[in-house]
Amino acid sequence: MNAFFNGEIFKDSLWLLVQQLPIVIEVLVLGLICAWTWGLILSLIRLSRFRPLRYLAGAYIDVFRGLPLLLLFIFIYYGLPHAGIKLNELTSGVLGLTLCYGAYSAEIFRAGIQAIPKGQTEAARSLGMTGGQAMRYVILPQAVKLVVPPLTNEFIAMIKDTALMSVISVPELLFTAKEKMGVVANSTPLTVAALIYLAFTIPLIRIAAMMENRRRKSKPGGKPPSGITPEAEKKLFDSDIAGQVPKGGEGW
Amino acid sequence: MSSKFKDDVSPLPAVPGTNTMIELVNVHKSFGHLDVLQGINLTVTKGEVVVVIGPSGSGKSTMLRCINGLEPIQKGKVIIEGEDLHGPRTDPNKIRQRIGMVFQSFNLFPHKNALQNVMMAPMKVQRKSRAEAERIARDLLDQVGLADKAQALPEELSGGQQQRVAIARALAMKPDMMLFDEVTSALDPELVAEVLGVMQSLAESGMTMVVVTHEMGFAREVGSRLIFMDGGVVVEEGDPREMIASPKEPRTQKFLSMVL
Ligand SMILES: Nc1ncnc2c1ncn2[C@@H]1O[C@H](COP(=O)(O)OP(=O)(O)O)[C@@H](O)[C@H]1O
Ligand SMILES: [Mg+2]
Repeated sequence: MNAFFNGEIFKDSLWLLVQQLPIVIEVLVLGLICAWTWGLILSLIRLSRFRPLRYLAGAYIDVFRGLPLLLLFIFIYYGLPHAGIKLNELTSGVLGLTLCYGAYSAEIFRAGIQAIPKGQTEAARSLGMTGGQAMRYVILPQAVKLVVPPLTNEFIAMIKDTALMSVISVPELLFTAKEKMGVVANSTPLTVAALIYLAFTIPLIRIAAMMENRRRKSKPGGKPPSGITPEAEKKLFDSDIAGQVPKGGEGW
Repeated sequence: MSSKFKDDVSPLPAVPGTNTMIELVNVHKSFGHLDVLQGINLTVTKGEVVVVIGPSGSGKSTMLRCINGLEPIQKGKVIIEGEDLHGPRTDPNKIRQRIGMVFQSFNLFPHKNALQNVMMAPMKVQRKSRAEAERIARDLLDQVGLADKAQALPEELSGGQQQRVAIARALAMKPDMMLFDEVTSALDPELVAEVLGVMQSLAESGMTMVVVTHEMGFAREVGSRLIFMDGGVVVEEGDPREMIASPKEPRTQKFLSMVL
């Protein structure tokens, strides 16, 4: 027991790791903003009416959903310098998160946008709105509400995946705990790191569960008022949103 | 190009300044291999209320959606107030601003209240100021009898109220003509009258309207022309009262005998 929980080392490690939190949070916040922005752009391209761009976005999404994030980090940090591109640890970390989670977010946004009934776009277009205006003022505001729960789950996954950055020397929690472990020859720093991860992830897991419950309860009749079909909603909330090629010629 | 209903206007094609509002010339529309519209000719003049009836799947909705360019067409011409909707220099968004449309399923924006639903297009499309848009919107909500529901979300309104907000929303763009696609079909029977009432007073104010409906009473009382569609073509058209009383085509007779 002492190997995993030594009071003195615990205090030491806690202080050490808490000091690293700003870096973790910086990577996370930047990664989140970049990944969601990139994901939204990708999803809009994927649903646009320009076929070549649509396929390109689809290919990107498939590739980056299919690659291990660890490989991506290593490629960016250790691989790219061979091509003369040298990025520092933090930039590499944010870039890796953006590339990978952008692809996941794109699928979430796409499902959210497609869950909005077609009649909404038609009503907007019939009022003279352009496709872009309909998307911006009518579709996205509704889609964003729908994607909050899946994006919360994505955020949880991203928090955990910051640990992968230990291989590219980002001084995040796991990296710092491992170093400390070597110094003190004891596993307590790892325990501390675990507790800190949980302090962030468990509240989010609870929030995600609460949103899920509220969604279930809020529709006794089965059909939500906005006319989003139960099938479309289910598709959206299924943990793995399978990549589907959007219907041809239906771009906005 | 059917000219039999507009003997008082200039020769084809319609030019601005005449009172031809909508002109469909041999319009063909297909979804894949399914030919939905097979050569529709239709001319609607200013102030006319054209009522369109026909069995489900005959292409009524598709025709309305072709009139405002929500559906691309494969052949033919759609001319709105003298402008070719598919012309190389035509901006369909501009044309749609002049054509209001109301749908069977209301399609109100659920994230906006009644007032905001009506204000949105004048603000975002016509770049009107918030104050101006709000003045227009409140005025219209008042006209459709919903002044007290301005702050209500669509989900808090009855079907009939939602549909009246939808009509106000379309009117907020000050359109030159209105398209109605079975706007009372999704309503409980007791709510149909309030919506038809709004449409009737709109017609009496001189609005040009194309109304797809099963309400034969409305066709008889308000319609200036009745059109029977089947299988993607116009089978018969004429004066509503005459046509309902004595339809000429067997298909029209059969259909009317079922709905009356
Ligand atoms: N987007 C679409 N894709 C494929 N088929 C369609 C589409 N919209 C309508 N249709 C088909 O076109 C035909 C006419 O439909 P519609 O115009 O809605 O008829 P109506 O309004 O007279 O009931 C139907 O057979 C319908 O299934
Ligand atoms: Mg229809």
